Amino acid sequence: MRKSKSLTQKALTELGRDKLAMISFAIIAAYILIALLIQTNLLNLPIHDTVGESYEKPSWAHILGTDIFGRDVFIRVIYGVKISMSIGFITTLIAVPIGIVLGALAGFFGGRIDDFIVWIYSTFSSIPYLLLLLALALVLGKGIFSVYIALGVTSWVGICRVVRGEFIKYRERDYVTAAHALGAGPLRIIFRHILPNVLPLIFINASLLFVSAIKAEVILSYIGVGVQGKPSWGNMISDAKLELVGRGVYWQFLGATCAMFIIVLAFNIFSDALRDSFDPRISNKTKER
Amino acid sequence: MLLTVKNLKKYFPQKSGLFSKPALPIKAVDDCSFTLEKNEVLGLVGESGCGKSTAGRCILRLTEPTAGSIHFDNRDLLALSSGELKDIRKTMQIIFQDPLSSLNPRMTVGGIIEEPLIVHHRGSPIERKEAVAALLDKVGLPQSALNRYPHEFSGGQCQRIGIARALALKPQLIIADEPVSALDVSIQAQIINLMIALKEELSLSYLFISHDLSVVKHISDRIAVMYLGKIVEIGPAQQICLDPLHPYTKALISVIPEPSLHRSQKKTILQGDIPSPARPPSGCAFHTRCPVAKEECKKREPILEEKRSGRSVSCLYVNKKV
Repeated sequence: MRKSKSLTQKALTELGRDKLAMISFAIIAAYILIALLIQTNLLNLPIHDTVGESYEKPSWAHILGTDIFGRDVFIRVIYGVKISMSIGFITTLIAVPIGIVLGALAGFFGGRIDDFIVWIYSTFSSIPYLLLLLALALVLGKGIFSVYIALGVTSWVGICRVVRGEFIKYRERDYVTAAHALGAGPLRIIFRHILPNVLPLIFINASLLFVSAIKAEVILSYIGVGVQGKPSWGNMISDAKLELVGRGVYWQFLGATCAMFIIVLAFNIFSDALRDSFDPRISNKTKER
Repeated sequence: MLLTVKNLKKYFPQKSGLFSKPALPIKAVDDCSFTLEKNEVLGLVGESGCGKSTAGRCILRLTEPTAGSIHFDNRDLLALSSGELKDIRKTMQIIFQDPLSSLNPRMTVGGIIEEPLIVHHRGSPIERKEAVAALLDKVGLPQSALNRYPHEFSGGQCQRIGIARALALKPQLIIADEPVSALDVSIQAQIINLMIALKEELSLSYLFISHDLSVVKHISDRIAVMYLGKIVEIGPAQQICLDPLHPYTKALISVIPEPSLHRSQKKTILQGDIPSPARPPSGCAFHTRCPVAKEECKKREPILEEKRSGRSVSCLYVNKKV
């Protein structure tokens, strides 16, 4: 008998055939692995040790040279992976559940609940994003913890909007009506019938959220309200702004930017491919080609 | 009497813009009354947009009616608590027009058919598996369908899955909302015959909603013809098809394609479009398109009354001969 595949299995098979997406996935996996190794102390990086002169140029001993205090820039860039990944991960972990719950409630029940939730997120999104982040970071005190909270509570709006729209679309589907007619309760309909169909879209949006959290951390650290006392990419770029113009020290800037550029690009390509593979219309088109 | 619908009304309020005049509600179903006996098939026909599906959904309480009463098995459906409503849902089910979109694409066929049993806590997992297998047999699907997904099946097969799901709780009434309109003609016949066989075997009643009179004619015991939210003619299927009384029914019957060399009667093609249900015409709602309308029709609204024994017609110019 022919083995039958669910829609998810089909999409994943298709994703597996996309080489670029798989390379991106490998890069993301490598970043995650590095972050985990540092987090669990299996990889102990001497980020504060002085290893040479101030502002040594890149050499074989120090691939990305040294910074003002003679610390190895490459090691600090690698440590920045952990900071960035943890910010991406925790922000997503805070924002996605909020977005799903509020979006599902608004889209499924409609009426006053919908009005109220739409009002909340319209208010949130009408405040300039960076200003809100700044205010929160200042209220909660500087540091990585307030970056988690600030990004988490400001970035659920996008997911919430998407989930709400999808729930409005799916709640009118015949199989949802059929479930109502069977006497299934709202929880069963939300979790068994609608959410599984919305989940691919949530994954795609979550991975885009991950990227924007990484970028937001860099911006926050650059303007000085982000991560304190640890080598994050934002801090490094911020440090580099004076060195670059005055002394032509490009390596700190280059290292942090490249590390960020690679992960952001990999995430974008991967979530693009993820979206394509879950969208039946697009996958048919690629088959024709 | 299994089902008694009295003066059912469903008005959909329209949102009006900030600066525009308050919008009139759309009268999807406007004062409909009909009954359905046990083991009977009532065909509900009419053009798209005439409110036949809405009427069906009101009976299932999938949309809340604006006014009227619905009695099912001598219980007032509109006065039920939510617990009682869940309980009574076992006895009435629905089959949809689009077979594929009525099945959750992320559930296996087995899961779809088993779901009603899970929702109503019927039997142990093993008993449920057996029940699902029996249902697959009943609707003529192979057991290998169990672990497959809806998108692997054809339209007709998907409709069989939908029928199996509807039958899982052993209902008394099935609202079939255009169950064959999306299928090929050859498949239509198979599904209709399956539905007739199931009706005999399980003593079901159908409210068979369709825009296709030739299909309704085949399966129904009685037919109700709807126009713009109102029933214009209701009576035994045979009589309605052979001797339609209302001009609208006449027009519908005359355009049923007939496999004959000689065109037996002239086709009446209705002119114009169906008017907006938000602003139904004055008097008889059909007067704007009626080939025999007179001045009187614009002023006086006809009521649905018995003009022959067992047949009710709402037209000013059909004479009473009871």
